[in-house]
Amino acid sequence: MTPRRFPWAAALVALALAGLAVHYLLAVLIPFALGCAAAYVLNPLAALAEARGLRRRVVVPLAYLLTIAALALLAGRLLPSLLRQVSSLRGELPSFMARLRLDFLELQRQASLRLPFAADAISRFDPVAALAPMIARSENIPSYLLSAFPLLSLLFLVPFISFFLLLDGPDSIDRLIQRCPSRYVEQALHLLSEIDHSLGSYLRGLVVVVCVLSAVSYAGLLLLGVHQALWIALLSGVSSVVPYLGAVVGMVVGGLAAGFQFGTVAAGLKVVVLFALIRLGDEVALEPYIAQHTVRLHPLVFLFAFLAGGELFGFIGLIFAVPAACVVKALFEVAWSWYSSEARLLPAGETNWTGAPYT
Amino acid sequence: MFKTLKGLFFDTRLRRRKAFLRSLPLFADLRERELARLAQGLHARVYQPGETIFLEGDIGRALFILESGKVKLSRLNASASPQTIYTVSPGEFFGEMALLEQLPRTASAAAVEKSQLYLLYRSQLEALLSRHPRIGATVMAHFARLLSSRLRAAIGRGGEARGLPPVP
Repeated sequence: MTPRRFPWAAALVALALAGLAVHYLLAVLIPFALGCAAAYVLNPLAALAEARGLRRRVVVPLAYLLTIAALALLAGRLLPSLLRQVSSLRGELPSFMARLRLDFLELQRQASLRLPFAADAISRFDPVAALAPMIARSENIPSYLLSAFPLLSLLFLVPFISFFLLLDGPDSIDRLIQRCPSRYVEQALHLLSEIDHSLGSYLRGLVVVVCVLSAVSYAGLLLLGVHQALWIALLSGVSSVVPYLGAVVGMVVGGLAAGFQFGTVAAGLKVVVLFALIRLGDEVALEPYIAQHTVRLHPLVFLFAFLAGGELFGFIGLIFAVPAACVVKALFEVAWSWYSSEARLLPAGETNWTGAPYT
Repeated sequence: MFKTLKGLFFDTRLRRRKAFLRSLPLFADLRERELARLAQGLHARVYQPGETIFLEGDIGRALFILESGKVKLSRLNASASPQTIYTVSPGEFFGEMALLEQLPRTASAAAVEKSQLYLLYRSQLEALLSRHPRIGATVMAHFARLLSSRLRAAIGRGGEARGLPPVP
């Protein structure tokens, strides 16, 4: 029997078509990609209930109903507190700026006394004028939030899509296999299992990272007495999807919030140190644990994926860079495994030892 | 009333699949929850009469369990024409060597009639071995016994494996 050749042409055409689809349908694909990611993360829970004999079509809607009820209760309690925090932030902004201006003027006066030759240049520098563009932008924050309103549609679309994916569960894969030409079923399963392993591990690892970092940041900010602790912690935790971004977001947003609240630079610096320590802890304790259960991509591949994703698709590209790299890696591994085994390049794990004669 | 409620909340399809797996000697030693985990790892596919499942020389990556229908295993003889070596009946499995080594299949398989098959893919078994070692160990121990009995039979027939259950 002559070995089949790997269908390179078909694979390249499929990759090119996928690339075109991503390029032209990016906006449509985002909620589907996020929905798939959510379904991936939640599927083990549905599978656990299924293994206990419960029907997926009962468990998933029930879990959704309970989650919606819990979220509604949570929103009812948290929304007023969020609105209070935002209004207090806006209220504290002018007094903080005034205090900052006074501190700076004092600094300016002392600098002029100690450096009399530069007194003229120092006194001409106006901090308010220098900070004016930044202040103008910060006053426009509500309009930035409004421009992000279309993103809110994802909050409804993503759970909706993941609901149907969870409801279907492995049936969708069985349907795919049923439509696959019979001789390629094993190859299709090989590819699916590689993608499943690679992507599933990455996404589950990511959820652990986001949850742990959010919880630790929240506890740390509470200890420092920062008012907007929950929102800053959540923002920083979710930003951790992109390595290092979570720490930077926490330092900037948390530092500014603490500075506004306490009116001192030292308070902001404490928050910066807190997020630096959290980042260090993440590096030392969390990532080695996660790495055991997640995808093994070389750091340079990570970096390349981020740069390429950011360059091609902006912020969304950053979010999907690593999952896409996982899928591409799985594709290459399967293609190589297929090519090497069909072309008999490798012995494919053939055991050549026989040991002592059979007794 | 109770039966209707039970049917509404409990997965009858998974229960049927578990009952079928329990009836196979390969999985007879597994516990209820382990059977459920295994049943979740299987992929179902229906093959139409005459449809090829795999060909001699293909790299094997999955074990096939026949639930219903009939599957013919054949090998090319010296004159390169296919010769039927075994007909698989419901409850039997084939292609198990693919779970141990990724080597070319030594026979071809094709559905004789409309056949419902379950596929246990190699990586699924590996996942079961790491996450649920008892399932993996039970299945592997059964394979070891199967191979041992085949080897005994082959030696007993002077090294000739003719008439033995095929090893596709």
